[in-house]
Amino acid sequence: MSILILGTSSGAGKTTVCAMLCRYLKRKGYDVAPFKGSNLSLNSIATRDGGEIGIGQSFQALACGIDPETDMNPVLLKPSGHGVMQLVLNGKPFMDITKDDPMDREMVMGEVKKAYDRMTDKHEALLCEGSGSPVELNLMKTDIANVGLMRATGIPAILVGDIERGGVFAAIYGTWRLIPEELRPQMKGFIINRFRGDASILKPAIEKIESLTGMKCLGVLRYEYLRFPEEDSLSSSGGKLEGNDIHSAFLSNLDEMIGHATEDGFDFRSFVKMTGLH
Amino acid sequence: MDIIRKKVNEEIERGWIGSNRECPYHPCHFVNQDCSLCYCPFYPCNDETFGWTLQGRHGPVWNCSDCLFVHRTDVCKFVLSEIDRIGIKDAKDPRMKDVFASAKEKFWKKGKALMVVGATSDAGKSITVAAICRILHNRGYLVAPFKSQNMSLNSKVTRHGAEIAMIQVLQAKAAGITNPDAHMNPILLKPKGDTVSQVMVCGKPFADYDVEGYYNEFVPGPGIGIVKEHVDFLKNRYDCVVMEGAGSPAEINIYDKDIANMRAANIADANVILVVNVEWGGSFAYAIGTIELIPEDDRKRIKGIILNNVRGDTSKLRSGADELERLTGIPVIGIIPHADVVLPSEDSEALRGIRTKGEGKCLIGVIKFPRMANFTDLDPLFLEDVSTVFVEKPEDLEGVDAIVMPGTKNTIADYFWMRKNGIADAIRKLWKRIPIVGICGGYQMMGKTLDDSNGIEAGKKAVYEGLGFFDNITRFSEYSKQIILNEGRLAVGDKGEITGYELHMGISEVNESPLVLIDRFHMDPLQEGSVREDELTFGTYQHGIFDKPAFRKYFLSFIKHDGRPIDAVVTPDYEETLEENLKKLAKVFEDNMDVDKLIDIAGVRE
Repeated sequence: MSILILGTSSGAGKTTVCAMLCRYLKRKGYDVAPFKGSNLSLNSIATRDGGEIGIGQSFQALACGIDPETDMNPVLLKPSGHGVMQLVLNGKPFMDITKDDPMDREMVMGEVKKAYDRMTDKHEALLCEGSGSPVELNLMKTDIANVGLMRATGIPAILVGDIERGGVFAAIYGTWRLIPEELRPQMKGFIINRFRGDASILKPAIEKIESLTGMKCLGVLRYEYLRFPEEDSLSSSGGKLEGNDIHSAFLSNLDEMIGHATEDGFDFRSFVKMTGLH
Repeated sequence: MDIIRKKVNEEIERGWIGSNRECPYHPCHFVNQDCSLCYCPFYPCNDETFGWTLQGRHGPVWNCSDCLFVHRTDVCKFVLSEIDRIGIKDAKDPRMKDVFASAKEKFWKKGKALMVVGATSDAGKSITVAAICRILHNRGYLVAPFKSQNMSLNSKVTRHGAEIAMIQVLQAKAAGITNPDAHMNPILLKPKGDTVSQVMVCGKPFADYDVEGYYNEFVPGPGIGIVKEHVDFLKNRYDCVVMEGAGSPAEINIYDKDIANMRAANIADANVILVVNVEWGGSFAYAIGTIELIPEDDRKRIKGIILNNVRGDTSKLRSGADELERLTGIPVIGIIPHADVVLPSEDSEALRGIRTKGEGKCLIGVIKFPRMANFTDLDPLFLEDVSTVFVEKPEDLEGVDAIVMPGTKNTIADYFWMRKNGIADAIRKLWKRIPIVGICGGYQMMGKTLDDSNGIEAGKKAVYEGLGFFDNITRFSEYSKQIILNEGRLAVGDKGEITGYELHMGISEVNESPLVLIDRFHMDPLQEGSVREDELTFGTYQHGIFDKPAFRKYFLSFIKHDGRPIDAVVTPDYEETLEENLKKLAKVFEDNMDVDKLIDIAGVRE
């Protein structure tokens, strides 16, 4: 069973929301693991099996109570400047992507699919994270982690929108609208992230988006002053963990976040159902 | 009236002169104005398109100080040629009325309005409006910026003594307007605390509202009328009013209560351009989502899309932009690269951590009050060869070579914040050892007493002991706000020129040597501020004191780093820096935008 967490933009909160949901499932007793088809990041960690993956997945693995492994993030793209991008495939440096030497997208997608299959075979539930916005019209054809994965696996998806900058309803509706029609039935729900204030004023708008798209709103997550590790260079949360034991600090922050979400009426039950668990 | 008559007769005799760049007041209205009819030959025209009657001390007075009609070159040339043709020799000639009528008939028409809305808060609306203002201004159009409702703690004071958002003042500068006024930002919301804002109407305090009260009482009550009145005022005087929206126009939960976006566009009958910030990704979704969530009648007003703030190669977005055009039926009129310009910004992200310019010859600590206001005061200082650290806890003051205590929306609350977290004590330890300057609220805190015995500032009736660096007493005796625009000079140092403006509650009894001398009409200069050079302590109410080089130079001359003076090379007048950067900004937009299409959308083409 698996589900894909998409974001309306970079820094919408995918990584953290994904980690929170990992932690939730883990606490409910499921054998859950994180996955991100393709990651654009310079922040990576070494896995026990001697590979390299994005730091986001390593923290999510921690939330799942398991060791990070290369299959959790089969493609890592590391910008090395001057238009060159290092492709780390299955944890190992594979090639330098340049203008003249592009990546073989079909081959790479095939590897991602294989890693995904290995992960789903091994775990009861897989929480996948998308990358950036899934509907960059100029990039969608070659996408891997978002519509690429949806197309390859038929995975259901949940969209996270960041309300802090404003325009969140436009972002959620617009993202759904630009998802290719044949994939739209996979778009099951949405989450509004980083809200400050009384969420009841959002109700009419949420209902409108639900009726326009058929996606269900799982909840409105409050703005968290907790600290989480940063992945994107654009992350606006300013999250950095401090202290001696960042691992336990991270887990207790996730627990606190689950507590807040529960308090605010987050619909975990529907989430579990959308994931195909029971 | 005889003076006017005499002057007009001189003008008639002199004929057309165009812009009088020799005049010390030039340009008194706008860049490239025509000065041939400095004194209006039609005064008082009593035409309400151009002015209105004021009740003066000696009876009614015709006020047309905002009228720009006779400062347009085509109008000047026509009026003077008509006067010559008919053979009018004297201002009192009754036929002058006919000249006025035919000039109005021939040249006056109501201006157009163009609105820029953004898909999100930081989409780049403000700079897009500034760029459009400058682009149209460069093509000879008379343009005014407008934002019906602005929520900001960064404001400036107009010549008429009204408080408006800083960003509209900047946009007016881009439009070549010398005297921005409150019509350009009739509603200003100044957040006071958690959910309450002070609502300023036409530059004066109106009332305090919480969010609910604002949307349920103010907006449907006076709000809509205010927007209409002021946008109309500007349309009567300018070729184009370039309006700025607020936040996203597609917040469908408050759509009917929003007077800053599509409602304002309707009131002004404006075409709309949507700006999307590409930097965070998802821009196509934000664009189509915004457009399609807006009800159809309003949606028709959206005539163009601008993809803004692209880092890297803009051509990579073209295929996506074409697809977006196909899906929405609205052209993408610009794909604008990230513009590397120095302009004041509302972005509070900029007030984080340490920033360095050049070599960073010294470290200046800026106390980051939770209610910090007018923080754009510090922008000119950031242009100097210095590092700046924003101080949120006492440790942040370690190693600083000077301290700036900026303005705040609530002096007493922020003074307590500073006392409680230990910053006040840390500052006290550094006092007399490194230069400390306080501006406005920061200055008030430096006095010996903050007297709020009526509970005006903090809600509780009490008298507080200040930092005691100056022997001053600030009294918050009534709910009234000083809103003053000033020009003058330093009372110390090289006595250089300064400009500034005052925006404060409370009045200070000053028992110190003045820092600045403010020019007054036909009177001795007014002493303002406090200075103790031997104790390295400076304070003033003047926001914008860093704008002109004089005070920057003076203040930096007291700073030592590693025991040595920092030998600062002071950058020029901040206004010049802004002007250069507005030019640069407009060029980035012009080079990456279909300007013909923009002018079509603005509807100003003859």
